[in-house]
Amino acid sequence: MYIFLGCTTPMKQYAYELSIRAVFPRLGIEIVDMPDSNCCGTPLMGVNRFYNVYAPARLMAIAEAGGLDIVAPCNGCHLALSEAAFMLREKKNLLEQVNALLKEEGLKYSGKVKVYHPVEVLYGLVGVEKISSAISYKLPPLKFACHPGCHLVRPSHIGRPEKRNGKLKLEALTEAIGLQTSDHPEKYECCGAAMIPYSTDAAIKTVAMRIKKFVEGGFDGVTTLCPYCFDMIDGKQDAAKTITGDRSLSIPTFYYTQLLGLAMGINERELGLNLNMSPVGSVLEKLRR
Amino acid sequence: MQTYAQTDILEAVRKVIGDQKPEACYQCMKCTSGCPAAKVSDYRPHLMVILTKAGLAEEVMQSGIIWACSMCLKCKEYCPQDVAPFDVVTALKNVAISRGYKPPEMLVGMANSVLDYGYIMDKPMTITTTEFEEVSRESLGLPDIAHPKDIEKFKKFVSSFGYRRLS
Repeated sequence: MYIFLGCTTPMKQYAYELSIRAVFPRLGIEIVDMPDSNCCGTPLMGVNRFYNVYAPARLMAIAEAGGLDIVAPCNGCHLALSEAAFMLREKKNLLEQVNALLKEEGLKYSGKVKVYHPVEVLYGLVGVEKISSAISYKLPPLKFACHPGCHLVRPSHIGRPEKRNGKLKLEALTEAIGLQTSDHPEKYECCGAAMIPYSTDAAIKTVAMRIKKFVEGGFDGVTTLCPYCFDMIDGKQDAAKTITGDRSLSIPTFYYTQLLGLAMGINERELGLNLNMSPVGSVLEKLRR
Repeated sequence: MQTYAQTDILEAVRKVIGDQKPEACYQCMKCTSGCPAAKVSDYRPHLMVILTKAGLAEEVMQSGIIWACSMCLKCKEYCPQDVAPFDVVTALKNVAISRGYKPPEMLVGMANSVLDYGYIMDKPMTITTTEFEEVSRESLGLPDIAHPKDIEKFKKFVSSFGYRRLS
């Protein structure tokens, strides 16, 4: 399948990209870089709402021409693609408008392409059982908080990869490699990333509340599969300490694909484990075989 | 300053793509009670909706507070009236842009970058590892990012539906 990386992952969240590229082929998922791509439009919804339909439709039309489905590792991209697909199915006039534009490039959107998030690839296409047997050792039962991120859960009426009740796919996957998961009060809350253009201060205060709950919950670490959430939770801990004055705001944070790769015996550098900004050292020590 | 109800804004909000139904709001404030942006700023989704509904959104657009929304979509998910406050505010942002109100500086850069590179950022960043080594996509062995193959054409297409360079 095509991988459409979006903006954040290929521009700065290299650990996510590295760990996907390391893990997916070893689980039998062949990934091909998508050509001729553009921003999905989610961060620009407020600037031009139609762009947020045209841009993902263009991406899906390119995938259609290439004859492959898409995996979109960013929650925001996955939302843009699936919401556009939903709208273009419901609204004929929108479909006509979009296709009139795509036609000028020799493209056409017909709704054939499936769009996956890595959590769906791993849980649905690969499966928990295959993952359990593909790992070379079980990680120790450390307690991890799984953070799905808003757009993996909402808006539910268009169908999202994760549901709000019961166990998350991400939790089942985390348990499949030996780690423990536990409910936490802010599991479906916002990381604050989208507030950054308006106010970095407001965004940091928001993620500080999330980090506080992870610490209070006695978790050994946090795992997510969204580059924006990761950028906030992993990358903004020092800023959160400075802004709130709370020195306890510190939690080791990993992409799930990094943890999975570790359990599969993949080299740590290949998983970008030297790129995490949160203090992962002591937990990593325990996670190593 | 005298304030007049401006029903044209309400009309413009209705026309933007989305599920917004400001007229259905009965001000239960469920949206605001769960809003992450309301906890850290003056943003209150129920006020955005009622002011839009009443035709008083001009000041809201002027103040810039609409840009505080964190896009978590909780208000849209939980509204008992299917008002979709998120979509009301997104529509207000679109109307604000078309009327020349300035969005946050960083968003201006992101929006303009799409016209030049196809993405909200112009180029990949150099980052520092835990061993204080500087790394780039290239040094990590990652392939080049695929941009729109003909950026001029891409710019032409997106301009055709009113996506303009912001200043």
